[in-house]
Amino acid sequence: MKKFNRRTLLRGALQGIGVGVALPLLDCFLDTNGKAFAATGARLPVRFGTWIWGCGFIPELWVPTTTGRDYAMPEHLKPVEAYRDQLAILSGFDVKLDGVPNKPHVTGCLGLRTGVPVPNENVKAPTLDVLIGDQIGTATRFRSLELSTSGVQRSYSYRAAGSANPSEVSPLALYQRIFGEGFQDPNAMTFTPDTEVMVRQSVLSAVGDERRKLMKQVGAADRQRLNEYFTSLRQLEQQLALQLEPPAPVRGFVMPDAPPETSLDSEMGNVMENHKLMAGLLARALQCNQTQVFNVLLSDTASNLRRPGATTTHHTLTHEEPDDKVLGYQKDVAWFAQQSMLAWRDFLDAVSAIPEGDGTLLDNCLVLAHSDCSIAKSHAVEGIPIMIAGSGGGRVKTGFHLAGAADPITRVGLTVQQAMGVQVEKWGALSMETNRTVTDLLS
Amino acid sequence: MKKSHRIGRPFGRLIATALTLVPGLWQSAALADPPASLAVYNGRAGFVVTTFSYVLGPDADEAGTCPRGMAKNLAEIYALEPDGRQQPGEPDAAYTARVRQAVAALATLPDGNNVCLHPEAAPADPHFRTVTRSDIPVDGVDLDGKGADSGDYPADDFTSPEGVRGIDNQFYRVVGCSRSFQSTGPSNTFGTEMLTGAWGILVTLEGIDDLHNDDAVTVGIYANADPIQLSAAREPLGFATYAMDQDPRFRATTSGVIRDGVLYTEPVDIRFHSIVNSLRLERPLRHARLQVTLGDDAGLQGFLAGYTPIEAMYDMQYGYRSGRGGDGKPGPLKLRLGTANGAAFVLGHTCNGGWQALHQLADGDCDGRSGECTSISTQYRLQAIPAFVVDAVTASSNAELEKAERVDVY
Amino acid sequence: MFTDYLRFPLIKSGAVCVGLLATLLSGCDRGQSGALEPDPVGGPTVMRRLTESQYRATIADIFGADIPVAARFERELRAEGLLAIGTGEAGVSPFSIEQYDAAARSVAAAVVSEEKRNSLLSCQPQDEAVFDGQCAARIIDDYGLLLFRRPLTEAEQEKYLGAAQQASEQLHSFYAGVKHALVGLLMAPDFLLRIERTNKSATDAGRQQLDAWSKASRLSYFLTNSTPDRELLRAAGAGELDTATGLQQQVERLIASPRFEAAVRAFFADMLQYDLFDDLAKDPSIYPAFNSQVAADAREQTLRTIVDHLITQQGDYRELFTTRKTFLTRPLGIVYRLPVVTRNGWEETEYPLGSHRAGIQSNIDFLALHSHPGRSSPTLRGLAIRDIFLCQEVPDPPANVNFAVVQDPSNQAMPTARDRLTAHRTEPSCAGCHKIMDPAGLTLENYDGLGSYRTHENGALIDSSGSLDGPQFDDVDGLAQALHDHPETPRCVVEKLYRFAVGRDTVWDERAYMDYLIARFVDSGYRVPELMRTIALSKNFFAIDPDSGHGVTTEHASAVTEKGVRS
Repeated sequence: MKKFNRRTLLRGALQGIGVGVALPLLDCFLDTNGKAFAATGARLPVRFGTWIWGCGFIPELWVPTTTGRDYAMPEHLKPVEAYRDQLAILSGFDVKLDGVPNKPHVTGCLGLRTGVPVPNENVKAPTLDVLIGDQIGTATRFRSLELSTSGVQRSYSYRAAGSANPSEVSPLALYQRIFGEGFQDPNAMTFTPDTEVMVRQSVLSAVGDERRKLMKQVGAADRQRLNEYFTSLRQLEQQLALQLEPPAPVRGFVMPDAPPETSLDSEMGNVMENHKLMAGLLARALQCNQTQVFNVLLSDTASNLRRPGATTTHHTLTHEEPDDKVLGYQKDVAWFAQQSMLAWRDFLDAVSAIPEGDGTLLDNCLVLAHSDCSIAKSHAVEGIPIMIAGSGGGRVKTGFHLAGAADPITRVGLTVQQAMGVQVEKWGALSMETNRTVTDLLS
Repeated sequence: MKKSHRIGRPFGRLIATALTLVPGLWQSAALADPPASLAVYNGRAGFVVTTFSYVLGPDADEAGTCPRGMAKNLAEIYALEPDGRQQPGEPDAAYTARVRQAVAALATLPDGNNVCLHPEAAPADPHFRTVTRSDIPVDGVDLDGKGADSGDYPADDFTSPEGVRGIDNQFYRVVGCSRSFQSTGPSNTFGTEMLTGAWGILVTLEGIDDLHNDDAVTVGIYANADPIQLSAAREPLGFATYAMDQDPRFRATTSGVIRDGVLYTEPVDIRFHSIVNSLRLERPLRHARLQVTLGDDAGLQGFLAGYTPIEAMYDMQYGYRSGRGGDGKPGPLKLRLGTANGAAFVLGHTCNGGWQALHQLADGDCDGRSGECTSISTQYRLQAIPAFVVDAVTASSNAELEKAERVDVY
Repeated sequence: MFTDYLRFPLIKSGAVCVGLLATLLSGCDRGQSGALEPDPVGGPTVMRRLTESQYRATIADIFGADIPVAARFERELRAEGLLAIGTGEAGVSPFSIEQYDAAARSVAAAVVSEEKRNSLLSCQPQDEAVFDGQCAARIIDDYGLLLFRRPLTEAEQEKYLGAAQQASEQLHSFYAGVKHALVGLLMAPDFLLRIERTNKSATDAGRQQLDAWSKASRLSYFLTNSTPDRELLRAAGAGELDTATGLQQQVERLIASPRFEAAVRAFFADMLQYDLFDDLAKDPSIYPAFNSQVAADAREQTLRTIVDHLITQQGDYRELFTTRKTFLTRPLGIVYRLPVVTRNGWEETEYPLGSHRAGIQSNIDFLALHSHPGRSSPTLRGLAIRDIFLCQEVPDPPANVNFAVVQDPSNQAMPTARDRLTAHRTEPSCAGCHKIMDPAGLTLENYDGLGSYRTHENGALIDSSGSLDGPQFDDVDGLAQALHDHPETPRCVVEKLYRFAVGRDTVWDERAYMDYLIARFVDSGYRVPELMRTIALSKNFFAIDPDSGHGVTTEHASAVTEKGVRS
């Protein structure tokens, strides 16, 4: 790679001279954003994904009774206790319908993902994974990977109405798509630094050149404040400089074996098996930079999951099964809700099994897990359960439960987009429009 | 109809002293100092309904009301046939497909129409079950006045747990042996739709001299044009402002009296909205009367009872034939069909079974000569809290969105 | 009038109420009504960071209201009771720079976007793929002037033109080059910080004046909370701001402009401490009606009332404490228990007689902000009345106070806050300050922690009698009148407004000038726009005392002045 230097660029343009000094990394930068570095000091990519499970939850078994860091893990979240520090549990955020007829299992899911409630599948805005993908996922082989583990070939990833990105439903097909023909060894790929980033860095450098002159013009107190300004500016330059370095070499990557043929249906045991296989393949694909964006659909939003031998699906049960008179909720529905969280643990296991930098792949992911409704029986879109896993390379904070207090759910989507670098000031429509991020999440 | 004022189940304590009014205080808009616990606007005290459900009898398994079992859906009916069961060695998927095919065939009329859209053309459903006993306690209001003192106490009237006789609740008979209408089932929780803002109900009281006993008050019952306001914990908030529906078909006023803190109204026809699976429907109630206690928290609790035209009831609970989209046009046929057939499967009934039972048990608006009745006695239980009720044609909360539905917002 | 204060119970603990002392001292040589402006005193120049609202307004005024500013702004610093003073003390953290960068890129990208470029850029290149130096220079000069609030120096012109050229060539796009040059301008300290410079030549009794460009900025951010517009910059470049007539013309123009309202809003949002809303939390089980919409509407309610009364009606400032006219939305109606017919948006209305509401201190923004999450607080409310409306400082509580009694609202023996506070006031170390804070706050006990009206607490009737530096009253209407009549009410707003305008605390020698402003304020019938006009037209407003600290002295500004303004 041609060594690019910030001072070279501008001076070169103006005077035709090109000599410069490499900038040392500032200590404070390393301290605050250390996670973005591999052990080599090179940068690690950040990944974004969504993980959807259908038909919501049993509130009393899922919502922690207290907020903040030291909440007691509720029954259905116990499987992910090991990931407590890497999870943010978000309850009580609403899709605001504004009188839009609630199309069961669709309006809530797409409202959360597009910021606009719709009475059908005709989204009025791209889903947030697409918006984030446009920001972080343009340089990889796959713009994004969609997978569905219960046999239905659909996704809730839309660029526009009528064009949902199709999901892979078979582990074997997923394997072939990623690791079959066309697979590129990540370490053999050539790195081309982004010209746009070079330009940005050089412009900031030019602004920084004002330092000496301005410092002479102001008094002592303001000089200190100006100094802070210029140091901060320099730090931003450093971040850009880092982006011009080639990515960290992928270490310890082992080509996965092709998975066996499996039954592609919605029987819970098969779904768990397929999900585990596909999560493992996805984690490998993320590790070797085949994609940086993914969408996993464990079960369709009107959950098609079922028990062996049973013809009644999870979704049907939510409407059909009476509340257990002792427990006060639907017992079989609760079983599926719990299985969904076990699958979520499997997913986190798969992603965190890959070491990366001084942590795991999960540290450099931001996974937004959500359902389509809160209480499926009434298709309620108020309080749709959300979890955020991984810190996105230190871009979000986790380890707590936050109650949304009926705020629009778009606050979460806005926060996640901003954390992933999407330039968005406000997001959503009508009552869902917000410019308020979830500050607890932002580091 | 004959006036028949009877107090049903008492709803907590009656009016507390804080609510006792100086006679004549709230008759004018210039009311000096209405009780702080009431929401008064233009001289009218307003309320918004917060819970709304059918009054039904006890569950079948407790009271033994369905000795011949529960109603069945088409899959269960098919399973009764000799080849309707899963064969040994038959894979799940193959059996599921076979059942689906059989159900589709059973739901289709010889002319190719779907039974749910044309239940009148379908044969009788021998598996549908209704409640035939009357010796079980069922709450509500005596709508037809027969039974008060009992010379002509009809055999199909119920008696309340408190011993009030003559209660007309034929709708309970229709659904009492359907599993989705048992207390643990989903069908009687439709009132939660109100909390999503899909529809709502307002009540106003005017001309009250004394909240405890008053010979003449004016009562308004309206569909709510605004979504109900909730706390973060999804509890309805008192003292919100709501506008009554601008469509006169969704507004009614009647007169009433207050006896010992219970309001009884004269019958009036009213109509509310209902939304199922994003299909907009109407919930009419003819000869409707309120019988509500004015609680010490300034709320209302009690019954709204009347006669629902059976074709409308069929559409609300079984067939969704008249369901409309947000644009006011008939909803997509596929959606109406899917909703009706899906509901039948999930809730455990057949469309024709429900339609036939409604016709058999109808007891209101009867033709003098043929004896054929076109509506069915229906009892709702409701609670309401103080709300300012206004009659205003200001831009709807949804006006912006309707615009957005036409022009893409993105 | 100040003799009233001699009867006022000053705190004996040695921690004297500083605001009161200053008041007493400055009262001695107060000027006569209609007096001439005292000689300019001046303080230091102040390097102030643009606030978030100023940044947004500035971008909207320069590029258009539909240009997105995609950034999260850092929490602003409150110093000496005002964010406006904090802007002169706050640094710029790495987080802020990242956010400014995000904002700059979103703005620049929108400006050169295909939809916008023809209307926002003054020229087009022959070939989009090729750099056009002449056109780029025009654009950079034009927006440089607007963004830096002064013409660019030659060195700056070259720098940003060079950046544009380099970027154009690297990215093979003229517009990409312009975009990156704009990002550079938007990231420059000269944009993000209002660096004030003096005009050495115009000294007056050892005092200096701000140079014309710095004057334009002070005027503009004071009177419109936004950047100088082209006309103001033209006047600055033409030297008109240094003449009385020229200055007056511009001041009148700015006060008459629709942007003036933004300045009044910015001042009162600062004075009323609305930044504290970011931290406002209410226990949802106690105050179910509270949510983020209610919080936002509550602020807007009071700001609307203020704008309507002070600007639209040209009303007497003191009547803000007694007016029953207000503005409501449906979510607010739930808390006030008042009907609001209008479905979406605002309804102009009046608190009904007997609704126990009058004046902005009975609005829920004030009542909720100065309460605890789960209960009201006579002390916090009393403190806020003194601090916000009367500029009377009350010292912090002594360390190690036992608050157990006050903080237990379930204490059956003491059902009301008055009971609990009375018990608490027996502590001698607390009594002094509580005597000052509580009597005003106790009258507001008829409002719960969110601001809904109540007559009882824990079943006991609330005694809402109170007093404020003399007058005794039984209810909130009495408090309203007492605030209206209090001699410190007008003085306080005058001082705060001036400190807001100059971004620093007043200096000792400005006492006479304060008296002058107060006298003019009284003469005008307590009209706030008139007060702002008086400040903007006064020599003190632009005066700089070169010996008072960190003044900027530069040859630079006068050098560019000569080049004049191109627009």
